[in-house]
Amino acid sequence: MAHTKVLLVDDEKEFASALAERLQLRNYDVQAAANALEALGIVHSFRPDVVLLDLRIPGMDGIETLKAIKKFDSTIEVIMLTGHGDVQSVENGMKNGAFEYIMKPVDISELTVKINKAWQKKQVSR
Amino acid sequence: MKHLKQTIRLLVHNVFHPHDIFRIFGKGRYASLKIRIVLIDVLLSIVPLFIVITISYFWFQKILKDDFDKQLQWEIQNTKQTIEFFVDKKISALKLTASSYTYEQMSDTKMLTEIFNNFKREYGGLVDFGVIDSTGIQRSYSGPYNLAGKDYSEQDWFHEVIIRSFYVSDVFMGYRKIPHFAIAVKTEPTGKGTFWILRATINVETLQKYVNPVNQRPNDDIFIINREGILQTPSKFHGGVLEKYTTNMTIPREEVVTQELQKNGDDCKICGLAAIQHTPWVLATVIRSTPYARIPSIFRNELFFITMGSILLGIVFTTVMANTVVNRIKLSDEEREKAVGQSEHASKMASIGRLAAGVAHEINNPLAIINEKAGLMKDILEVSGSTPDNKEKFLALISGIAESVNRCRTITHRLLGFSRRMEISQDAIDMNDAVQEVIGFLEKEILYRNIKLELNLQENLPKIMTDKGQVQQVFLNIINNALDALKENGYISVTTYTKDDTSIGVAIKDNGSGIPKENLKHIFEPFYSTKEKGKGTGLGLSISYGIVQKLGGTILVESELNKGTTFSVELPLKLEGA
Amino acid sequence: MDAQYENELRNLQMRFIGKIIAGFTHEIKNYIAIINESTGLIGDMMKVGKSVENDLPAYLDIIHSIEDHIEKTNGHFRYLNRFAHRMDSPLSSFHINESLEELIALLKRFANQKRIVFKQDYDTDKPTVYSNPAILQLIIFTFLEQNIMELEQESTITLQTTVTDQSVRVTIIPNGKRIEGSSVSIPSELLDIVIKELGGNISQDREKETIILLPLRPL
Repeated sequence: MAHTKVLLVDDEKEFASALAERLQLRNYDVQAAANALEALGIVHSFRPDVVLLDLRIPGMDGIETLKAIKKFDSTIEVIMLTGHGDVQSVENGMKNGAFEYIMKPVDISELTVKINKAWQKKQVSR
Repeated sequence: MKHLKQTIRLLVHNVFHPHDIFRIFGKGRYASLKIRIVLIDVLLSIVPLFIVITISYFWFQKILKDDFDKQLQWEIQNTKQTIEFFVDKKISALKLTASSYTYEQMSDTKMLTEIFNNFKREYGGLVDFGVIDSTGIQRSYSGPYNLAGKDYSEQDWFHEVIIRSFYVSDVFMGYRKIPHFAIAVKTEPTGKGTFWILRATINVETLQKYVNPVNQRPNDDIFIINREGILQTPSKFHGGVLEKYTTNMTIPREEVVTQELQKNGDDCKICGLAAIQHTPWVLATVIRSTPYARIPSIFRNELFFITMGSILLGIVFTTVMANTVVNRIKLSDEEREKAVGQSEHASKMASIGRLAAGVAHEINNPLAIINEKAGLMKDILEVSGSTPDNKEKFLALISGIAESVNRCRTITHRLLGFSRRMEISQDAIDMNDAVQEVIGFLEKEILYRNIKLELNLQENLPKIMTDKGQVQQVFLNIINNALDALKENGYISVTTYTKDDTSIGVAIKDNGSGIPKENLKHIFEPFYSTKEKGKGTGLGLSISYGIVQKLGGTILVESELNKGTTFSVELPLKLEGA
Repeated sequence: MDAQYENELRNLQMRFIGKIIAGFTHEIKNYIAIINESTGLIGDMMKVGKSVENDLPAYLDIIHSIEDHIEKTNGHFRYLNRFAHRMDSPLSSFHINESLEELIALLKRFANQKRIVFKQDYDTDKPTVYSNPAILQLIIFTFLEQNIMELEQESTITLQTTVTDQSVRVTIIPNGKRIEGSSVSIPSELLDIVIKELGGNISQDREKETIILLPLRPL
């Protein structure tokens, strides 16, 4: 299969770069954005299959970004990156079209499983 | 003006508030408030009451006295006029008699006697008649004495009669030891250019009739004295006729004079003196029965009991009221404190939740970073093994992890600080009290070692929110150390002071052996001890240091060898963020 | 409850929470230290030139340990989070077993200092009560602390929950010798008042086995 395109949106650069590299080692085609504006720009140009979205990014609210992405292309699947105590945001996100969520610190194998599931869903909804 | 209003408001507030100031007999705040209220109320009711009673008393007394005085004056006036009338009547009668007959007729003893008898018939009480010529020789006489031919020319009364044309004499002891007085009148027959005198002696008894009224009060004494104070009529209490009546009153010439003479207890004497005109006499009235003298006893007895009764009743009611009201205040204060405590606690709890949540939230990212970087290292190792490039990369990843580790540390450090603050119980502590309690524990030891203890506890030291038990542990530790340094003799001084707006300090100074400079930096280290092996664990100061730090303060030490050491413990009034 | 007791209770609670957080923080600090050391070690190994081919297992082991400790840290924070939220409201519906589990996790460190082991024996029925979760934890902590301090090294404390028809019984069973002459004072009067307000009961027998009863149905 073609490499699954993944957009990683997280303002922690250290985290994003390390995770991006790990995913790349696992044959994902990864790009990273540090804020909502960048993210939307890359969504337009890169057309990812799956977006890994940290809900606490600066600029536009995480949920707003989610909505914007889904509006742009509803087939793009979004997986939320959350921390302790984000329960409400997660619920909110799921209501607004998020596919899944995963807690930080991230278990890489769990993440890849979720990304693949998302990709599969995307194939189906085509 | 504003300042005054403020002061008054402040004073009122302080008096009627369950404060720690204005404590009474060391009773609790609320008991003191109750006592204050009752006292003020009682005072406010007693003072006007007493003012009213006092004013009423004196006012009453004055009115009655004035009234009585007026009455007395009137009575005296009355009696005086009666006597004057009597005397004048006699004088007129004598004058008439004298002018009705010629000198020749009157000089005839037989004739005189006949006239005398007629006169006597009309005007009882007469003793004798005498006619005296212008040279002062008695020409004729009708009476019991043998006075014919007596020469009166040298006598005062003779001259008086010539001047005034009549004369009334003082009372004198006469015939048969009966008191008499004499009236003499001068007659100047017209055209003759000469004169003669008719003299009559009268019984004092006739005078007495007018002096002692029938309805005289039993304790009153009315009598006549002359200008020298010699009694002219007998008195009830002041002596018989011709005895001296002593008084320090000035005997008046003309008017009526009254004076309160003396007051022994209920006995009040008023003396009234009235000059009786045309006579050398003064009417004296000594009153003992003064109705207004009873007033004090009325006031003292009946009024006293009524007053006391009302005051007592007032106190009882005020106390009951004060009790009820202040108890209500106390209850509502307690409930408010409870509610405040509850809400404070609730907010403390809320802040704990928030803090924990916040920390957990924050730690996510650095943890995630460490995770990813470590995972990446694993990936790299598994995939590509060790190549020269990877070494660089690894070291970069490792330093990245180290950075995140530091972040984690900072975050958890906050949590630690918070937990420390929670482990201390917080209460408003009076440091002076705390110090004195600690001294109490060590008193015996200090005395036994003959060490002089000096306490300089600052008055009005602000209270601080801290853990009393732990602070006292620190003092105990430091003072014990000082005791050890002193062995025997020497002194320890403890001073409490306000350091600044936000903190206070306690300085413990001794004049012991001191700490050498090189050791000073180590004394707060655990297990550092200069005591002989087996003595002292070396833990005291380090634990103390930890406690003080936990409480948000610092310990400072200054020392000079053989001069002494000063430990200063400075603590904040309130812990930040607690 | 009168003001004095309320005050005492609050102080106890503060002390309890302070202790938990302190213990928690020290545990986390430990984990982080280990992560730090391990990372440093890898760096050292690299610098020294230990080749990956030969020492791959060693490297992987260390990284595994790092990941392990990250997970431990994370897990511990989850416990703290749950613990902190127990105080959100004075009355709520909650799972007793869960609340005990997190309490034990947060107290493990103290027990470890004397190598005392916690055993958890929870009723599979997953009892839910409607009560004051924070206060319940405080009560149980009081007795756990007492046992930890009075027992000798390497003893065991079992925490048991049993569901009866109307109530849940939480039993604390110490197993081991008690230190001679040790006696940790417990504010029993206060705890009695507190538990009665929750409709429950506390009893402790001679062997310091403690039973806390809570009604299943709300008051």
